[in-house]
Amino acid sequence: MSFPPISSDDIIRLDNVSVHYRVAQERIGTLKEYAIRWLKGQIHRQNFRALDNVSLDVKRGEVFGLIGKNGAGKSTLLKLVARVLRPTTGRVWVKGRVAPLLEVGAGFHPELTGRENIYLNGAMLGFTRREMDAKFERIVAFAELGDFIDAPLRTYSSGMWARLGFAVATDTQPEVLIVDEVLSVGDEAFQRKSYERIQSFREQGATILIVSHNLDAIESMCQRAVWLDHGKVAALDSAQSVVSQYQGRVREDESERMGQAQLDTGHRWGNRKIEITRARITNSQNEDESIFYTGQTLVLRLEYMAHQPVQSPVFGMAIHRNDGLHITGPNTAFANMDLGLVQGSGEIMYTVPALALLEGLYHISVAAADREDTEIYDYHHLAYDFRVLNYGHGNVEKYGLATLNGIWQHTTGSQG
Amino acid sequence: MDTSSPVPIYDSTRRIHPALEELHEVFRFRHLILQLVRRDVLTRYKRSFLGIAWTMLNPLGMMLVWTIAFSQVFYRGGGADFAAYMLNGLLAWLFFSQTTTAAMVNFVWGGGLLHRIYMPRTSFALAASGTGLINLVLSLVPMVGVMLVTGVPLHWSALLTPLVMLVLVIFSLGVGLLLAAFAVYFPDIIEMYQIVLQAWMFLTPIMYPEEILPSAYRFWVTQLNPMYHLVRLYRIPLYYGRLPTVGEWLPSVLLALGVFVIGWLVFTSKSDEYAYRL
Repeated sequence: MSFPPISSDDIIRLDNVSVHYRVAQERIGTLKEYAIRWLKGQIHRQNFRALDNVSLDVKRGEVFGLIGKNGAGKSTLLKLVARVLRPTTGRVWVKGRVAPLLEVGAGFHPELTGRENIYLNGAMLGFTRREMDAKFERIVAFAELGDFIDAPLRTYSSGMWARLGFAVATDTQPEVLIVDEVLSVGDEAFQRKSYERIQSFREQGATILIVSHNLDAIESMCQRAVWLDHGKVAALDSAQSVVSQYQGRVREDESERMGQAQLDTGHRWGNRKIEITRARITNSQNEDESIFYTGQTLVLRLEYMAHQPVQSPVFGMAIHRNDGLHITGPNTAFANMDLGLVQGSGEIMYTVPALALLEGLYHISVAAADREDTEIYDYHHLAYDFRVLNYGHGNVEKYGLATLNGIWQHTTGSQG
Repeated sequence: MDTSSPVPIYDSTRRIHPALEELHEVFRFRHLILQLVRRDVLTRYKRSFLGIAWTMLNPLGMMLVWTIAFSQVFYRGGGADFAAYMLNGLLAWLFFSQTTTAAMVNFVWGGGLLHRIYMPRTSFALAASGTGLINLVLSLVPMVGVMLVTGVPLHWSALLTPLVMLVLVIFSLGVGLLLAAFAVYFPDIIEMYQIVLQAWMFLTPIMYPEEILPSAYRFWVTQLNPMYHLVRLYRIPLYYGRLPTVGEWLPSVLLALGVFVIGWLVFTSKSDEYAYRL
């Protein structure tokens, strides 16, 4: 099988890579059992495809994200790049030294001192004893171990253990750094320090592969990303695009799971004297958006076409939560707006300056009707969706429907 | 960035024969194997007061027990030098049984590391041999001591000991690799092997002179037992104090090389699968 040529700025290439695990259906633990089954021809194996025909390339200096559900093949892909696994078919090509932060501190021995473990771990990363001599002081300083360096590792806290692992793995800038959720290492100060180190590698041109469930981090740190789904590439594009496609799928899956509680969406009726030609949910920059954070600005834009002149129509909307709870139904009449004689095309905007809703999936209905609400011109029932996430962007309020933007205060009893 | 060494390129489709590739990788990771030996030696007796001295005291203690049990109870033919005869054989046997067991157990239980980081698959077996070799060299101290005490003369031929050690190491490494490769698929082998070792030890003239074997069985027990040849060869330069003849070298050297080559080929032919299995 021939593969396309490598281009000069490639650092990692996967060409039609598949990884198959052969899983015995029942575990055969003894030779005797195996021999009997082998003679009877009863050894059945299932082929499990951890990765299925994956092709991608990562360029020099790129920060590349991997997202997908657990078991989608992210770890398998990292292991291929780290040479831990060899592909069943296809080609894996990597240029340069790979520093795997798959599990920092893997290979440490609890009975050995920090000093001894530094040399042992360094050797696992391919460094000689002399090379490690040169790094030793820097590693100890970065890991903030001080006098503990000559104590056995079993006396270390888990934070110290992790700090030492990170310090050894990242002392020398590798060509490729693999980061698997490690930024949760140690306390907050150390997390910042390790983040800074990764940033500086990035500035100096290292290629970084990141697996994270934190989509915010993927979106903000990575230029490109791949979304793996059941071992296949579901999307490979800019990080933003891949994250939003992934979120779209997560949302679909969730609403499917809602089953009975899910609303019957997407009906449209009305006599179309005024037609709502387009309804958009956007952010404050007029960009289409389906994911919001509590506190962000949400704008609903209704483009309409009045096929005949209509006096003082009313435009309105309704928001329902996915379980059917009607949250609110504002319209132009409640706001004491008289639109006057409407004809031809135009746009109605409804701006929510700071979204109070908490995490959840919401559906929007939009409508145009007459002033008395007896004649419906156009009604799009629960036709537009948006999702609110509660992580990131400062807000951590959860449980329930909405934030009240309340303010907590504390006064002690003694008025000294 | 480290500019001293050329940028390594890994291409999963470009590969030489796995057995040769492994040799190359072992050379590249030689520092790791030394560090693993260091780890094994350091951690083994780390918490004990006498530390590494146990490497020498252990076989000495075993020898004392056996000398009393066997020379006084079972076999009364031996003189004082029988202790030296026994210890000499025992050291070779202990090396064999410990390194083959360690090669297998370290690989099966420590192999989880292979999920996380790349290293040559034979590292564990090689480190086990290295650790065993250090213990074997250290055990020369009590060996020579016992020879002096029991009046067994030390000859110049003792200088050949490193060579017979090497034969023993190569043979044990081959057996260890074979065991490790099979134990990945059938972990029960680990337990079974301990029983096999017991029987094998009694079938090898270690704690008794080979002359006491009934002549009807002697041929089978000696000629078909690889460890008979290896233990015997190991005793020649030290205990017997002479140079081995070609006829004594040949079976051991051929066995060692043969088993090593087979072990290496079998082990490396499966090397891509271990990370999936361990």
